[in-house]
Parts: sequence; C-alpha cells; structure tokens
Amino acid sequence: MIGVYREFEGCMRLAGYVLRRLPVLAKPPVAESLTRQIYFTGASATAGIVLRGAFIGTLIIAYVIDVLEADAALAVKILIWVVLREVGPLIAAVLVIQRSGTAITTELALMHISGEVASLRQMRVDPRDYLVVPRVVGVALSTAALTVYVQVIAVGGGMLLSSLTIDASLGELTGEFFALASPVDFVYSVIKSFLFGAAIALVCCYHGLHPPGTSINAVPKAAINGVTQSTLLVLLLNVVFAYLVFGQAFFGLVTAKL
Amino acid sequence: MSADTQGVALGYEPPADGGERRVWIPLGGSHSAGAMSESQGKRLVSAVLEVRPEPETRLVLLGVDVDGLRHAGRAALRDRIAFLPADGGLLSNLNAWENIVLPMGFHHPGRLPGVAAQVKGLLEELGADPEDLLAKLPERMTAFEKKLTGYVRIALENPDLVLAEEAQPGLDSGERAAAARFPAVYLERCPGGTFVQLEVARER
Repeated sequence: MIGVYREFEGCMRLAGYVLRRLPVLAKPPVAESLTRQIYFTGASATAGIVLRGAFIGTLIIAYVIDVLEADAALAVKILIWVVLREVGPLIAAVLVIQRSGTAITTELALMHISGEVASLRQMRVDPRDYLVVPRVVGVALSTAALTVYVQVIAVGGGMLLSSLTIDASLGELTGEFFALASPVDFVYSVIKSFLFGAAIALVCCYHGLHPPGTSINAVPKAAINGVTQSTLLVLLLNVVFAYLVFGQAFFGLVTAKL
Repeated sequence: MSADTQGVALGYEPPADGGERRVWIPLGGSHSAGAMSESQGKRLVSAVLEVRPEPETRLVLLGVDVDGLRHAGRAALRDRIAFLPADGGLLSNLNAWENIVLPMGFHHPGRLPGVAAQVKGLLEELGADPEDLLAKLPERMTAFEKKLTGYVRIALENPDLVLAEEAQPGLDSGERAAAARFPAVYLERCPGGTFVQLEVARER
C-alpha cells in the first residue's frame, strides 16, 4: 500500500515538473524528441490503430443494434453516447498503451540500467527535461489526434452498417447524427483523450525511470507496472470525466443528483 | 579563495583512516590523478559532478573549496567542469552527431549554427573520418570511436576542468596514440584549462 502511494506521489510530482518545464520544448534536442514521439505514436501507428479502432467501434454498433432492435434515432444515440464519447477515446488510449506505453517504459528502463540516464546527468541535462517532457506532450497530442481518427471512422462505419441493417437510409442517419451531436461531445472527448495520453506517458515514464532493480529482469517488471497502472488510471479518469461533465458514470449506472 | 586552495584545479582529501589516497592537482596543463581503486574513482567522480563531497571529505574545484558554497555557487562551478567516461557516455538511440550536439543544444543553442565546422575540424585533427563517424549509432562504433565522440562532445563546451577516465582496454596502437592526443588538443583550444586523467583499477 505504501509502495502504491509512493508511486502515485511520484507520478504527481512528475506531472507538476512537466507542467513547470514546458518551455524546455523550445530547446532543439527536446523539440526533436517531441517530433519523434509524435511521429512514433501519432503518425507511424495511425493506419493500424485506426483500422483496429474502426473494427471494434463498428462491431459494438452491430451488436447493440442486433440486441436492442434499434431504430434510426436509437442507433445514432448509441453512436454518440457510446462511440463518440466513450469508446473512441478508450480504444485510442488502450491502443496507445499497447504500443507507445510499453515502448516508453522499456526504453527508459533500459537507459536507466545501462547508465545512459546517468550520462545525461553528467552532461548537466536533467533526464526529465529530455526524456519525460517531450514524451508526455507528444503522446498527449497524438492520443487526441488518434481519437479523432477513430471516432470519424468508427462513427462513419457504424452509420454505414446501421443503414444496411435497419430501416433507415445513410442520409437519414447522418441528419439525425448532426441534429443530436453537439460540439460539447467532440470537445469533451478530445480533452479527455489528451489527458488519457498525458496520464499514460507520465505513468510509463515514471516506471521507466524507476525500474524495480538494476538487472535486466527489472525491464519487463517496469513495463508490466507501467501498462497495468496506466490502464487503471485511464479507466479511473474516464469515470471521473463522465461524472463531472455529464453527471453520470458507467454508461449511466451511476447518476449525479443535480 | 584561501591561500592553500589558490592554484588548485582538483583537490580531494578523503578521511585519513579510510585507506583512500589524496588527490591534489594544480591548475593548468594535463595531469594524471594516479592509480586508484574503482570505488574511490566512483566517489571522486560523483563528488566532482555533484560538486558535493561525502562527509569528512574535502573537495576543492578550480581554486574553490566547495564546502562553503551555496546552490548557485555549486551550479556555476559545475558549468565549468566536464567528465569523459571510459566508454564515452553516449546515448544508444542517437547517432554520433546527435550525441555530440545534445549538451550544446541544451546549454548553448545559439552556438549550434557554427558547430559543424568545429566538429569536423576536431575529428580530422584526431584522425577520424567525419563523414563515416557522424552518421553511426553507438552500436556500430568501435570503443575508440565512442570515446572520441564523447571527447568531441566535451571539447566543444570549452570547460575549465576535464576529468577523463582512461580509455577502455582493446584499443590498437594507432587508436591509443590518437587518444593520447586528447589532452594536447584540448589545451590548444583552452590554454588555461586543466585535463585530469583518472587511472582506475577495475575490481573483478
């Protein structure tokens, strides 16, 4: 329990440090590191992540329509409530954890064990400035961008599928979608996924820089800690966000008394 | 600056009963700190890089007894010191050029535009082919190329004091000769500087 508290405190301190040190992004090596992180998380993974996200999003719509025997209005509401607000950001976050979270933790833990983090200190470079700040900002921006891609393709795929399975045309569904969806839904999901990305990178960087030992065995342990804790944090943030913004959590099972 | 520290580049006085040797090196020129155990070498390097000795140990850097210094004074002193590890201290995911300019990009980004010519000149002076070396990742470098890359990185910063671990074994005679020229090349660039070689006996 004390260990969990210390890790939480460490991540919070790291978050505070990143916020204070954002101006360091203007330094050439950090700016280059940020560009690499955005390329790795947001660009090179786009096709795979968006395709998987779209597949999962479309599958959810297909199941829900089948089980609930939905009409056009209900199908669109499900698209907005489930895919746009919740599943889109969550799918993007889970895929970022799988791909970038593991890579970040493993890379930083290896750098720590091989003495490269100490080399940075010997150069009078704070490892948090060079290794953590660009990764947190890069993963946060990339997760927000990936969420938008996933939403567009999943909602588009969902509407296409709905038009084939229920008695409504694609035009009717699109009209219904634009009538029901509000900018709040979009802004909410983008801000939420930005925070998901920042949380994932912070937790993974923290565990990468604090592996549980100095042998090579510590690397997979650090990666497991990073992945499991960032997944839990994303789910927790999702619940808190849903409750704060819409007054409900767990898809409406918990509702705020406003 | 007291009388006994004036003119001292590196002074390290461990407790008398600890079995460690005293290091007292004058300002200017190239010097050897003498043979020392790996543990003492680590403690000495750590004390110099943190500008903070262990308890009951005295540390003098560039004529200043660091014991009485505040944080700002320590930071200012640290900015004048560079350390060259035996393996060059490179980051494995950056090529030689990126490794060389990393600290300069942090501490003196305004000097980056003119640095390419300096790097090329230094490498050619030490017998390396810049075109070949600068694009290499550390995993493809020889032990000497790693050390050379680390050396160029610190030489560009023109530090007042360089603390260099002796090169790792396995260098051929040509590479040893080139590594032996590191202090002279540094002193040409920084005539008032001090280059200190650490001879550390590795513990098995």
